Amino acid sequence: MTTARLGHHAGPAAIAAALAVIAALVAWLQVGPVLQAAPAEGYDIARMVLLYATLPRMATALLAGAALALSGALFQQVLRNPLASPTTLGISAGANLALAVATLFFPALLGFGRDLVALAGSALAAGVVFAIGARRGFSPFSLVLSGLVVGLWCGAFSAVLLLLNERYLVSLFIWGAGSLSQQSWDIPLSLLPKLGAVAVVSGLLMRPLSLLDLGEGGASSLGVSVTQLRFVAVAAAVALAAFVTSAVGVIGFIGLVAPTLARLAGAHRPRELLVWSSLIGAALLWLADGAVQYFAGAFSDFLPTGAVTAIFGSPLLLLLLPRLKIRHRGVEAPRQRVRRRGLDRRLALPVLLALLLALAVGLLLGRGLDGGWTWLDPRAANDILSLRAPKVFAALASGAALAVAGTILQRLTGNEMASPEVLGISAGATFGVVVAVFVVATPGLSAQLGFAALGSLGVLAIIFLMGLRSGLAPERVLLAGIALGAMVDAVVGILSATGDPRAIFLMRWMSGSTYNVDAATAGAVAVVAAVLIGIAVSARRWLDILPLGASAATALGLPLTVARLMLFGLAGLLSAAATLSVGPLSFIGLMAPHLAREAGFIRARPQMIAAAAFGGGLMVLADWAGRALAHPYQIPAGLVSALIGAPFLMLMLRRKA
Amino acid sequence: MALLSLPVPAIADSPKIVSLDYGLASTLLSLGIVPAAVASLADWGKWVIEPAMPESVIDLGSSWEVNLEILMALKPDLILTTPYLDASLPRLQGVGKVLRLETYRPDGGAILPSVIAATRRLAAEIGREAEAERFLAQADAFFDECRARLARRPRPSLALVNFMDARHVRIFGAPGLYDAVLTRIGLANAWTGAANYWGFEIVGIETLARITDPDALLIAFEPVPGDVLPKLARSPLWQALPFARPGHFAVLPARCCSAWSTRPCALPG
Repeated sequence: MTTARLGHHAGPAAIAAALAVIAALVAWLQVGPVLQAAPAEGYDIARMVLLYATLPRMATALLAGAALALSGALFQQVLRNPLASPTTLGISAGANLALAVATLFFPALLGFGRDLVALAGSALAAGVVFAIGARRGFSPFSLVLSGLVVGLWCGAFSAVLLLLNERYLVSLFIWGAGSLSQQSWDIPLSLLPKLGAVAVVSGLLMRPLSLLDLGEGGASSLGVSVTQLRFVAVAAAVALAAFVTSAVGVIGFIGLVAPTLARLAGAHRPRELLVWSSLIGAALLWLADGAVQYFAGAFSDFLPTGAVTAIFGSPLLLLLLPRLKIRHRGVEAPRQRVRRRGLDRRLALPVLLALLLALAVGLLLGRGLDGGWTWLDPRAANDILSLRAPKVFAALASGAALAVAGTILQRLTGNEMASPEVLGISAGATFGVVVAVFVVATPGLSAQLGFAALGSLGVLAIIFLMGLRSGLAPERVLLAGIALGAMVDAVVGILSATGDPRAIFLMRWMSGSTYNVDAATAGAVAVVAAVLIGIAVSARRWLDILPLGASAATALGLPLTVARLMLFGLAGLLSAAATLSVGPLSFIGLMAPHLAREAGFIRARPQMIAAAAFGGGLMVLADWAGRALAHPYQIPAGLVSALIGAPFLMLMLRRKA
Repeated sequence: MALLSLPVPAIADSPKIVSLDYGLASTLLSLGIVPAAVASLADWGKWVIEPAMPESVIDLGSSWEVNLEILMALKPDLILTTPYLDASLPRLQGVGKVLRLETYRPDGGAILPSVIAATRRLAAEIGREAEAERFLAQADAFFDECRARLARRPRPSLALVNFMDARHVRIFGAPGLYDAVLTRIGLANAWTGAANYWGFEIVGIETLARITDPDALLIAFEPVPGDVLPKLARSPLWQALPFARPGHFAVLPARCCSAWSTRPCALPG
């Protein structure tokens, strides 16, 4: 017993110590020369920089790293999802939106303190998530899903503000990329008591959390109120992340990587996980920030620590994945009344009519030169339709393709957060475009498409290679996708924080604009999407059986690895086709399957067909609204679909309590 | 640097020209031509201010995604753009003749000559060579006058920044337009560190300690966010920097664009 306990601690302790030693060495490279130099008389700026920039920066890194890792460990423990991290509940997205709104419309508020504005935003976002979660007893499913939706909505709203006011918001990019730069002890000294208080609360949670590990029934019988425990633990995790984020900006990856490292090193019980995650997180961020400054000194470039951490953390996570034993603790899906047969059929006609109406509006209703609303002028019909039709049909096809891809992925993995974006296909395509921007400087449409296709195919190939080795464990594929996505976000984050104008091009691309779609592209996407959706619908038996779990599927005679491989491939091709025409729109793929299921389409085939109709129609409307509402400015369809769809899904989540 | 865009009376019956770039639009006005439409016109009053854009000009939407329905309806004779917006080039060429002018180049050539060459090319394209030469001569004379006036006084080096938030500044260096103009009128840029090829760099405020000239002045362009000065007042490091002394720090109104800045105009901030 004693040796076993010791064994549990030895691994994580070794990792934390190793990281700390390397970090201390890197820190000495910065501090040593100043300390060894003879103190100058009078104006000794080197010593001032050491005392009021370098040292407070290190203190901030240690504090923020520990707090974010503890927050991530709490989230993963309570939400039972290895993908959960401080960004999951929309905390940083809420803060980001609050900062954007304050910067644009209430600049005087920033005078009270940027951190207060950010904190208010986080609190609001978390409040909405909790309000939805409370209806369902703070179940992991409802918290994760509503967190994701709130985060997407805030993110989309900020992105719209950003695209319409691109010159204003550079400070937000810096904040979003997480810079630890300091000029006084203000930030670490104000963080210390706040984080300390929450850490004490977390410490008190360790014992009850261990009981929760026994399963909900076991915990309840031992006198632990599961609902209250979840609420307190999630609130503590939210507070930790929100305090750090409000002070220094978004440093997302530590919260995901540090607990993963701790678990890999052998920490399994909640107590071990929380303690060692915090220590590993502190050392990791200290090291990362030290390395960033060391190299920034060499290249004399501004490197925001948060984004750099993600760039190096993502490959690390990818490397560690094969060794990660993910306990499949299936997320309990919301229990639903199975509806009478025939409902699907009765709903089919209204859905079809709505879809046709959306198409008509998208093609015919627009704004004139003076900004007034006009129906299509027959005299200019050719010109205008040649502009609108490719956008409308590309939106329809890619919305439907993403929706079906999302349905497949959610059924395949049993994870409600699964979407084409999570799979990493869209990130791969975006990564391709990022490379294109660096290689070709200003890539034309064909270069963009070519690089994006290469990127998507690359990710698909990686998924298949991983699959050959590990039997395509769904969680691993999802984590790989998240890692890739974080890396791409980080590259864009660094570009934007350094003020590189290429960042705006990339952000536009990532926002899912149909602007550059021409007739040929639209036609190709429509054909590919139709064929792939047909194949997906014919695979309905696999998709009905797979959510029952691996063992049940094998017992029913399903060729597990082959089925997974083919379905991942299908979802990958669907999302790649959509991404190539309208950018990496993640939202429809996540939302349409949920909309279809909440509307009562439960089995695989009706769910896929309904999701395709919802997804396609929503995208067409979103594209139209994006073109018409802010006329003559245009808001990318992907963002609009998130702005409309997310509140809709939140209402549904509340109603189905 | 609004002085570079002295207004010239507009001439009626000029060709129908649209500009996707603030700098080129402003140069057009200086050459006596009112553009038919300009991209991102809604923000002109915030970022360019002078020369004022006449009411008749139509907003084309964001320069990144020009509203093609409006562009087609206008049937312009000439569309002015920069290499920066090359992604839209095929679509623009389908609508009308496109002139693509470039001042900032990846090889980082000297910015002032390149701006002057671009002005001459634009003028040649629209038949306003005489106006262009007059305009360039005015600008040159103005620079000479500045140089002469400065020559009689002590000349401290200058660091030019935008405050991004309470911890970061964007600092302007070579090879940017600000740096080139400072050199042209005989002033030294206090920031000798690296800058990207548009001529700026984002740095933590503690990095300003690398400026070694003890008499350097710090010029910040508006807007300065509300939390910056109070936070700086509490920073012992800032207090120790030479700029914290009285008379060494000033805030100037923002004019991010000049007639010639065909790129920084489209930059954030």
